[in-house]
Amino acid sequence: MIGSHQEILCGMAFVASVLVMPILTIGVIRKTKARLQNRIGAPILQPLFDLMRLFTKTETLSSTASWMFRSAAAVNVAVMLILSATVPWLTYKPEVPGADLFLVIYFFALARMFTVLAALDTGSAFGAFAASREVTLALLVEPATVVSLSALAALSQSSDLNLIFASSNRMLEHNPVVWLLVGTSLLLASLIELSRMPVDDPTTHLELTMVHEAMLLEASGRNLALAEYAQGLRTSILFGLAAQCWLRALPGFWDMSQIVRAVCSVAGIVAIAICVGVFESVAVKLQWRKVPEFIAYALTMSFLAALIALSGGLLR
Amino acid sequence: VFTLLPLFDAFCLLSLVGAGLAIVMGSRAQGFFQALTAFAGSLLVAIAILGSVYPLFWHVVPPIGFATFPIHLRTDSLSSMFVLLLGVITLTISLFSGGYLKHLEGRINFSQYWVSLFLFLLSMTLVLVSADAITFMVFWEVMSLSSAALVACEHRQHRVQRAAVIYLVATRIATGFLAAGFLWMHSKTGSWLFADWNFGITSTWLPALLLLLAFAIKAGIWPFHIWLPYAHPAAPAPVSALMSGVMIKVALYGLLRLLVGGGLQCPPLAYLALFLGTVSSFWGVLFALVQHDLKKLLAYSSVENAGLIMMAIGLTLHAKALGLGEVAAVAIAASLFHIINHGLFKSLLFLGAGAVDAQAHSRDLIHLGGLSKRMPWTTMCFLLGSASICALPPLNGFASKWQMYQAFLLATFESNSMVDRAIAFAAIGVLAMVGGLAIAGFTKAFGVAFLGRPRSRSAEHASEVPISMVAAQAIPAVACIALGMAAPISLPVMNYAIAFVGLTLLIHAVVLAGSRVRHYSTWECGYGQIPARAQVSAESFTQPIARIFSPVLRYKLDVTIRGKDRRHFPEYVSIEPRMVSLLESRVYRPALYLIGAAGKAIAKLQAGSIHLYLLYVCITLIVVLVVGTKL
Repeated sequence: MIGSHQEILCGMAFVASVLVMPILTIGVIRKTKARLQNRIGAPILQPLFDLMRLFTKTETLSSTASWMFRSAAAVNVAVMLILSATVPWLTYKPEVPGADLFLVIYFFALARMFTVLAALDTGSAFGAFAASREVTLALLVEPATVVSLSALAALSQSSDLNLIFASSNRMLEHNPVVWLLVGTSLLLASLIELSRMPVDDPTTHLELTMVHEAMLLEASGRNLALAEYAQGLRTSILFGLAAQCWLRALPGFWDMSQIVRAVCSVAGIVAIAICVGVFESVAVKLQWRKVPEFIAYALTMSFLAALIALSGGLLR
Repeated sequence: VFTLLPLFDAFCLLSLVGAGLAIVMGSRAQGFFQALTAFAGSLLVAIAILGSVYPLFWHVVPPIGFATFPIHLRTDSLSSMFVLLLGVITLTISLFSGGYLKHLEGRINFSQYWVSLFLFLLSMTLVLVSADAITFMVFWEVMSLSSAALVACEHRQHRVQRAAVIYLVATRIATGFLAAGFLWMHSKTGSWLFADWNFGITSTWLPALLLLLAFAIKAGIWPFHIWLPYAHPAAPAPVSALMSGVMIKVALYGLLRLLVGGGLQCPPLAYLALFLGTVSSFWGVLFALVQHDLKKLLAYSSVENAGLIMMAIGLTLHAKALGLGEVAAVAIAASLFHIINHGLFKSLLFLGAGAVDAQAHSRDLIHLGGLSKRMPWTTMCFLLGSASICALPPLNGFASKWQMYQAFLLATFESNSMVDRAIAFAAIGVLAMVGGLAIAGFTKAFGVAFLGRPRSRSAEHASEVPISMVAAQAIPAVACIALGMAAPISLPVMNYAIAFVGLTLLIHAVVLAGSRVRHYSTWECGYGQIPARAQVSAESFTQPIARIFSPVLRYKLDVTIRGKDRRHFPEYVSIEPRMVSLLESRVYRPALYLIGAAGKAIAKLQAGSIHLYLLYVCITLIVVLVVGTKL
């Protein structure tokens, strides 16, 4: 069945975003950092050129690795594609039935499990220690993410993300504080989840301290290309989710037209990418032991959001 | 109706005959007893199906004596669900035993094994279908003792003796609470029939508390869980699968049948259940994470899952007491579904650990590694089990965890009091953190045992288990997938599963399959082939998490560096993590010490001197006389 022209247009824009946004997000972060360091920097589309180059390269595969190692990248891309269709990271995303909050959280966990197992599969201690750090970060971040999204779910009385992030939501409209808190909590959580600064510096190339990049140490060629693309898409989805929350905190958002909202949602991701680039240029990496203290900020935001959800429900 | 009773009688007879024959020829005809177990398992499945379709209540008058205590039995959908789980797992272990028991030859007494196993199956079934307290109590005792005998199979080893004693003590305490609770309820109602017991009135709160404690001990709920991590590593794998998969569920069945079914209306007890469940889910998963014995890890993970189920039961009790029908319905569905799911994936994982033990001659992660190339099918099944227990979609663990989240989410806006809402939010946070810890624990267990390079010679020479043992693991694995896809939840999980598998295969075929591949060793900084010992160990993998939770785990790193210039040229470096169980060191050991000291003090009274005893008699006489004249 063919929908209206608008739906087709939305669908095409969405497919284009899934392909372009990962590259754009990573490219913008890198460009911002380069400019702040007085370098011209690589073109914004450099991640795309990197992917293309990796695609043509021969893959070096550890002889210790089993089927698990190569399947992890495929699983990651598959999960991220599913998530891109279910997580409301863009306003023009087509609605998929059953986009449930807890399903989304555990799909992220599924991708993470495969990444971690792939790192352990090669028998490399670098990858394994990165995997160990990854699961540590994940378990600390999980409560913040789940509680802050549950606050929204409690206010709209459903865990369906389509409903929570609907273009008009009686319970959540004109409730900017909760959106602001949830957005902040999610952004802080996603910085940790994506192992970016201040938890980990993805550009140090010191295997001993890195999290995500060290897990990919053994990946090469197309395998690495897939993993990089999946990570880019994960970055865009998580930034997009935070941007959507912040946009909903703007007083004018609920009266905007569809087109303006669509432009805003892309602009939001780019803006967050620029902010992250600036932050990564000025901040220093936290000592590993101090990371739980940083995570506490995200957790506090989510608790505050939950408190509002508690009292907001009472006012009903 | 006409076929259930003969089937049931056939099952009882079969178990008794099996136990009897095992005394005589248990050590010889292994195949015969496996077939008998399989037959018993299929009878149980049939009983469960018939029992749920035609609920039945009947009673049997024992032929000799005890005619005043007829045995009341009942099958309905609740007990049938548990009987079905028992039947499926019995079938699975009967398949598994064939190959597995061979590696225990000479180590265990097979007569003891089969006698106890048949009695264990019989007693669990009868506990599930009993409709009065006396029958329940008698078979509960048989269940406890036969399972203790199964734990003690390898009784020549010191650690097994210790495990059996600890387990026996735990069962004694549980039985004590249970008997007290039952007697109390009988004195209140004058009936032994469960159907006559109504927990809806305030005066039944105390007996309800006793029953709750009894079932919590048997279910391995914090702080009574300490027997689990001893009993499971000591028991053979099929026994662990039965005990963790079914027996602790029988205790939870007792809670559901008596307290939830009896209409308990007691907010304090509901809070207690919720609290105990929350703590044991967190405690269990945290201790599971730091174990390096595969079966001990799984035992602690059972504590976690029993805790999750207890949380759901606590929420059910609470919602029922407050009249929140929708919350109660979702919560009880979550608890029942998770009972089934945990029974399946935990027995799958225990069988996997048994297969590893049989082939690589160790369950210790320090000696394992690289089994994925040597035991591909076991690896596949263990991975599915791990993913299920981590609640990853689209498997069954996710479905019941989702229901749990939904129940607590409903409670965040359905309940009227602010405190209850806050508790529900906190529970959601705990569920999320427990989920994160479970993923950390099981990626460690699976990754260290099955991936990478073998850490010992015996792991290097391991080979795949025989086809029957693979099939035994495949049954619950397939059930995990099927229950996850066809889960009775309002999510199109099936569509997601198809999308996930389809996309993964598509990407694999389109992108990865066509890639040119060059095989090379893992990056070792140019030092040449490094030894397998240089891989991450189970302990170092979880060290960051253990450090964060060190107050609970009492985790310490003992670092010793010696040498002339010890900073730059150490001659001797040793790092050893140290951990003591907080409860055991701070609560149980002091308590045991106190009991021992009190016993010694009392023992001084009996000094063996006739003069002293005459003095006691004299004092007693005077006291009695004084008291008598006063009255």
